[in-house]
Amino acid sequence: MSDDIFITEETIHGDDDGPLAGTTVAVKDNISTEGVRTTCGSKMLAEYVPPYDATVVSRLKEAGATIVGKANMDEFGMGSTTETSHFGSTENPAAPGHVPGGSSGGSAAAVAAGEADVALGSDTGGSIRCPAAFCGVVGIKPTYGLVSRYGLVAYGNSLEQIGPFGETVEDAAALLDVISGHDERDATTHEVPIEDDASYADAATGDVDGLSIGVPTELLEGADEGVVETFWGAIADLEDRGAESHEVSLPSVEHAVEAYYVIAMSEASSNLARFDGVRYGHSSDAEGNWNERFAQTRKEGFGDEVKRRILLGTYALSAGYHDKYYKKAQDARAWVKQDFDEALSEADVLASPTMPVPPFELGESLDDPLQMYLADANTVPVNLADLPAISVPAGETDGLPVGLQLVGPAFGEERLIRAASALA
Amino acid sequence: MTAQTVQQGDLVTVIGLEVHVQLETDTKIFCGCSTDRTDEPNENVCPVCLGLPGALPVLNEAAVEGAVKIGKAIDADIPEETRFHRKNYYYPDLPKNFQITQYDEPICQEGELEVSVEGDRRTVAIERAHLEEDPGSLQHVGGGGGIDSAEYTLVDYNRAGTPLMEIVTAPDFRSPSEVRAFLAKLEEVLEYLGVFDAERDGSLRIDANLSIIPEEEIESGDVTDIGAEALAAANRTEVKNISSHKGAEKALAYEETRQKNAIQRGRAVEQETRHWDESRGITVSMRSKEEEKDYRYFEEADLPPLQVAHWKDEISIPELPSARRERFQDEYGLNEEAASKLTSTKQVADFYEDVASEFDPDLAATWVADNLLGELNYRDMAITDLEGRFEEVTRLVELVAEEEITAKNARETVLRSMLDDEKAPDAIVEDEGLGKTDEDEVQQAVVAAIDENPDAVDDYASGDDGAINFLVGQVMQKTGGSADPGDVNQLLRAELEG
Repeated sequence: MSDDIFITEETIHGDDDGPLAGTTVAVKDNISTEGVRTTCGSKMLAEYVPPYDATVVSRLKEAGATIVGKANMDEFGMGSTTETSHFGSTENPAAPGHVPGGSSGGSAAAVAAGEADVALGSDTGGSIRCPAAFCGVVGIKPTYGLVSRYGLVAYGNSLEQIGPFGETVEDAAALLDVISGHDERDATTHEVPIEDDASYADAATGDVDGLSIGVPTELLEGADEGVVETFWGAIADLEDRGAESHEVSLPSVEHAVEAYYVIAMSEASSNLARFDGVRYGHSSDAEGNWNERFAQTRKEGFGDEVKRRILLGTYALSAGYHDKYYKKAQDARAWVKQDFDEALSEADVLASPTMPVPPFELGESLDDPLQMYLADANTVPVNLADLPAISVPAGETDGLPVGLQLVGPAFGEERLIRAASALA
Repeated sequence: MTAQTVQQGDLVTVIGLEVHVQLETDTKIFCGCSTDRTDEPNENVCPVCLGLPGALPVLNEAAVEGAVKIGKAIDADIPEETRFHRKNYYYPDLPKNFQITQYDEPICQEGELEVSVEGDRRTVAIERAHLEEDPGSLQHVGGGGGIDSAEYTLVDYNRAGTPLMEIVTAPDFRSPSEVRAFLAKLEEVLEYLGVFDAERDGSLRIDANLSIIPEEEIESGDVTDIGAEALAAANRTEVKNISSHKGAEKALAYEETRQKNAIQRGRAVEQETRHWDESRGITVSMRSKEEEKDYRYFEEADLPPLQVAHWKDEISIPELPSARRERFQDEYGLNEEAASKLTSTKQVADFYEDVASEFDPDLAATWVADNLLGELNYRDMAITDLEGRFEEVTRLVELVAEEEITAKNARETVLRSMLDDEKAPDAIVEDEGLGKTDEDEVQQAVVAAIDENPDAVDDYASGDDGAINFLVGQVMQKTGGSADPGDVNQLLRAELEG
């Protein structure tokens, strides 16, 4: 069962003691590990061994954690099913015959299958929350700038964050305690003092008395009926414990998927330009000048979904189209941020189903990329707004896991952890 | 287009520059790697400057400081906030296949630099100056030597990530000699600021745009005022691979002649990029306009916008050459020529001020501007070759000021020997016996000369005044030529008459 969760099974021991001593961790295979290959689920990097550790990996080692392997993922994080991996798909341990979600599907599956106590994933447009929801575990997408990205192989660098998975909110929060905080190697990180020197794990009290929950109506539209029903059941649970809920509106989110894909693909077209076979990674042995060699290397090394996104991103940034696509998407991003600010002035947290649908069957969505992109409708707005969010199990529909997403204000992770810990 | 004869005098040359200067910082612009030159390829590299997957840039504040200094020196607008962009293109020397640079929010905008061209003062507008990272360097091996014809190409990333400042001028130049004067002046200012090392290979790289415009297109009759329309209508060539101010003048003179010849023969000038081949002294076509690149600029999200307004107030710059030249005239009463020579480099000016603070400013000026720079120039040496020996030169001026040695000996013997033999001034004075002899010593020599030459004394006593010259010669010989012959003559007479 576990043989499809990891791309590379390798034990990396941390320090003898520390807050995570005795804790096993699965690490998504786009997070650099010194001396252990880091493939990003791609043929391009199938044999690439980084000479350095990502900051989060150094912090795991210092905290005494034991890394048990590099988890499977959609190629370069581009997918919501883990099926675009060059190394094959991963079956969902919580829903056999179904995908684990993606792109951090291997990380979520490792926790769901008990292969690791906790896991690290990365979330550019939902890549932690989607697999957490599909595999019935907890996943946190931190505020942009809370966790260092140094060593995370970039896909959409203005959008993504590394974040934790756990079986419980407290487990995930304890991992967040270790990886968060300023890093001199990532200029976008902040030192965020949390109240009373408390830890994120300490915030997992389950106390939701007086919590005000806003439910954006737009994020329920078009969602699967069983998913919506399970969602309201979880909200009712929270209300039983003293929370209240009311409807709020996020009118801009109808443009969020378009804006997200334009920005993520544009950034990807630039971030993935470095894979040319000169310094590392796959290198074509085809004849030709440097330009032809670069092209052939990229043709051989990248899969279809990656090529699709690089081409679309290149197009969106090109002279004559830049204003029509990239600039407009940036305008939409600003609008989405503003909408969240307003909604969060009317509620402590915002709640929605994490995914509008239950897990896909293996192979079901591969042929229709657009359908797959639309499944990200509830998660991508959060990345556009740089906000923190958590996905926590809400129950099941037809035996398939359903996740509840809570979104909070920037650097409001404690609030999300406190609220979500009432459910898991 | 029909062939049309146009007189050479009817054409005006218009040139604008993009000057890349390497900023002198200890470490690279986005990582902690050393910027020291090393012979070992790919030695000063790390995950960041190699563009390894996952590595992130962090801005080196020393590079920003250098940029702010340049901005202040060229009197540019430094905005509240500046930002970095990615310039996307594929090339084997570019580790990430994009360059981190600045686009629409550069750190310096709308500056200027005053230049003296053949006695005229001209102000050159600087449209912008921005920070960026240098790519690595390529070495093409075998074949034709270019990237498309070489057998193989080696890549060295030691240079990758060296901080660069790209300085873009308005099309304000009307001749290659103006360009040369501007570049020399720019280098001087940059060296004064301590942000640039002209001696460093590849520290200055110039791209120049040159167009030829019919004189009647000039609107106001003022040759410096060319309308944007006329400029847009003319085809221009961009000349790349220029690496010195002398090279710029040669390359542009070649290009100016090439374009004028084409126009005179009724041929159109292609809009294209040309490569300056220094060894052959010609420009060669690289690519035409059709192949112009789309760099797909967009914001570099890994580097947050930088608030620079307060840097401007906190960073001070040294007095610049033009201001210092004027102050030297006021404060030390020097003429313009001497003041110009003494402010030619910061080290010369600093040294002059050291000497002038201890001795007479005129004497100091003669010694530093005329004697020292003259002798250095004659030997093709620079002030920098005297590193660590400034105290010796000061000591030499002191010997002259205190009249321990004659000015002539100081200049012709001591200074030259200091430069040629690397000896200290006191040692030279002693070895050559140049010290002015004291009076007792002369008096003793006079007495000895009288004692040893009774015949001459007798001759003098018997009225042969010529005998005194013989005795003077004897005294001079005893004192090694350091006594004053007139003084000796009088001392001898006093002794003989007494």
